Amino acid sequence: MDPVLQDIYRTVLGSAPYVLAAYVLLWAGLMGYIALGIRRVSRLEKQMSVLEDSLARRGA
Amino acid sequence: MDAAIQKSSFLGLSKNAWMYLLLAVGAVLTVTDFILAFFYAPVVLGGGVGGTAVINGVAVSNQLLFSQKIFYFHVPVAISSFLIFFFTAYYGIRFLMTKDKKYDTKAKIATEVTLLFVLLTLITGDLWTRFEWGAWWVWEPRLTTYFIMTLLVIAYFVLRNSIEDEERRATYAAVFGIIAFLDAPISFAITRLIPSSVHPVVLRSGGGLTGVQLAAFLIGLFGMLMIAWVVFQFREREEFVSERLEAVKAALEG
Repeated sequence: MDPVLQDIYRTVLGSAPYVLAAYVLLWAGLMGYIALGIRRVSRLEKQMSVLEDSLARRGA
Repeated sequence: MDAAIQKSSFLGLSKNAWMYLLLAVGAVLTVTDFILAFFYAPVVLGGGVGGTAVINGVAVSNQLLFSQKIFYFHVPVAISSFLIFFFTAYYGIRFLMTKDKKYDTKAKIATEVTLLFVLLTLITGDLWTRFEWGAWWVWEPRLTTYFIMTLLVIAYFVLRNSIEDEERRATYAAVFGIIAFLDAPISFAITRLIPSSVHPVVLRSGGGLTGVQLAAFLIGLFGMLMIAWVVFQFREREEFVSERLEAVKAALEG
């Protein structure tokens, strides 16, 4: 490769895979955290409705 | 679960539906930001090289900084962290005015979400710093004030965990949260107040962002703010459902 072009592309070619990987990993990590959190909330809500049903049956 | 939370609705959609809708829109916007940033936004120019080469019909005599692409994730996450931290102070003030425990819970959740976004900001910022400046950390004004903010956010939880009495804990945390938040506007404005040779001022009139760069940035910013709101919402629901669950368990055992 032309040495000037090689110098111009040095930072592009060197960092591209790392920058892409970092960006994708962090985004996926954030989405994973949200998915786990939403799953945890739905589980709690299910437990809640079971307990509320048994509380209502007791009251009846 | 809390009836107020379950039944509240806006424009005919339940809070749950809004949460999923905003999460989906936030995810789509941040992915669009990713595509625009990596495939359409022009690469910024770095230091000069010893000559000129023609690339796609354009004479280029500087290095092309691909690492700048991190900017499209880093800056929206950083702005989100400042905005969420504002709610720590806001709910802290509301708590001090009303002594209502729900505001203390909301302030705590806002600080938790702030911590998540602060950590993301530090990781993305550090990657950018390493690739572009060649160092993992530089003690320049923005990084230093942001690091102080990170320590204050961590200290907020240390303070909470060190006080047993609920009322005192909430009051101290509210006051600390309000004082700690003062660092956020300082950190945001520091690049303007003390211009640093290394940290760029991103939001400025006539600022160096071209059309596609600005579009990608704004799309990413709105997407990230929506995601931050969703994280706050589900953590709030989790907290309130847990509290209610404990109350129902106690009622059943009694």
